[in-house]
Amino acid sequence: MKIDSSPPVVRFSDVNFAYEDGNTVLENINFSLDSGDFACVVGPNGGGKTTLLKLILGLLKPLSGSISVLGRSPGHSQAQIGYVPQFSKFDAGFPVNVLDVVLMGCLQRSFSWGRYSAEQIDKARAALEAVGLKGKEDRGFAGLSGGQKQRALIARALVSEPRLLLLDEPTASVDVHGTEQFYCMFEELNQKFTILMVSHDVGFVSGRVKSVLCVRKTLQIHPVSELTGEALQDIYGVDVNIIRHDHRCSDKGHICPHS
Amino acid sequence: MSAFIKDLLELQFLQNAVIAGILCSIASGVVGTYVVLKRITYIAAAISHCILGGLGVARYFSVVYDLPWLRPVYGAVFTAIASALLIGYISLRAKEREDTVISALWSIGMAVGVLFIFKTPGYNEDLMSYLFGNILMVSREDLYLIGVLDLVVIGLTVTFYHQTVAVCFDEEFARTRGVAVEFYYLLLLCLTALTVVLTVSVVGIIMVIALLSLPVAIASRFFDSVWKIMLAATVLGMLFTLSGIALSYTPNLPSGALTIVIAGAAYFLTLAWSSLRRSKIQNNAPDASS
Repeated sequence: MKIDSSPPVVRFSDVNFAYEDGNTVLENINFSLDSGDFACVVGPNGGGKTTLLKLILGLLKPLSGSISVLGRSPGHSQAQIGYVPQFSKFDAGFPVNVLDVVLMGCLQRSFSWGRYSAEQIDKARAALEAVGLKGKEDRGFAGLSGGQKQRALIARALVSEPRLLLLDEPTASVDVHGTEQFYCMFEELNQKFTILMVSHDVGFVSGRVKSVLCVRKTLQIHPVSELTGEALQDIYGVDVNIIRHDHRCSDKGHICPHS
Repeated sequence: MSAFIKDLLELQFLQNAVIAGILCSIASGVVGTYVVLKRITYIAAAISHCILGGLGVARYFSVVYDLPWLRPVYGAVFTAIASALLIGYISLRAKEREDTVISALWSIGMAVGVLFIFKTPGYNEDLMSYLFGNILMVSREDLYLIGVLDLVVIGLTVTFYHQTVAVCFDEEFARTRGVAVEFYYLLLLCLTALTVVLTVSVVGIIMVIALLSLPVAIASRFFDSVWKIMLAATVLGMLFTLSGIALSYTPNLPSGALTIVIAGAAYFLTLAWSSLRRSKIQNNAPDASS
């Protein structure tokens, strides 16, 4: 399926980024994301995860270095990226129905007049079906649960038929059980789209994603299987305790099965 | 009330007032919906207070230099658009301290207006009618102006409906789709400015913000799409302004103030009604499950 000569979906070469106050957020970032990948960006808060997404989207410009997205500069490839922003920023009571939210994904740089076309509406319905919201088209967005809202926003990103899907903490408002369902959905979407997502829950992601980008000012790529305690410590810069599921506690104290 | 209807059929100034109320409600219902959804009521209030500067300066030059064509409302339109663009530029370019700049414009506009009105020869009663509105003073020419501005507001809203709603809902996503977010934001501010100028003639500078936001606040409790809220807010606005004019006529009360009191009462009744309904649902819930 993948042609070797095809350029990577995203390529960062020696990228540096700092905000106006001079605070360096990203330093010397090099990585490339191949077509069909399912990569997860992890790292501490303020480590630069969202900044990385905004650089890919062209919403922010790097201080130095070069970024290419789908073979072009970030600003020019926006139309082929499906972006799912952090969910917590939304006005939860906004009066709009689910189908209309998804149709917002059809908007383009070139101005189009009047109503959405029947073809666009069909695509929006298909996108809702792909995220498991079939039959909820006419429901008010405000009345959906957190997880359903998130799914509607993913459908909005899918409707423009992007080549790259960028998700910013898509499971932040979903409970543990729902998170598992979300990753099943991402695995399915990954058959069609290259996915790059930002996430907090490292341990849970590792089972499903193909590669992990660890961002804490600098960036390191960890193959999923190598995500060990040392790697986590690398990311967070402090001692991180990992819960051992083979270790039980009782009122007599800690009992390790092997001791 | 019957005196009002009898006079309405005979007196032109009363007919003008009623038509002005209806026309203004269209613009304020449509644009008020944007203002509430985009959470820029504070900016709308600042623009409306700035207008006093334009009104005052235009009237001063009109009287002192004998320029009858220079009507105060032209000064108002100019100031409103200028302050909207300035506020828009500041909030797009310099995210911090936006509220400080808006507050400064708010009071500077008023101060300039008060100074010029004070130095204008003749009666200064106009200041009161600018601040609190006097819909009975609306002339035929005013009606034409209001009508034209209504058409502009409706035309732009229909043309850019999807884009403007998308910008109100999620500015960042709209930007990633290539939508010219900054253009639409400035467009919304300009529409707000024009609507504020119209509404000032009905309820005055100080109470504009209530007429923009209260009908929308009520409508958004009953409808869940933007265009339905626009329609409902328009109808409610008409209801409030017309009952304000009618009920204030016989007891000779200021109609703008009465309009706002009616709108405010309707708003709090709606709030009370919906919280009552919610507690009723909560009380019934355990019964239904048992």
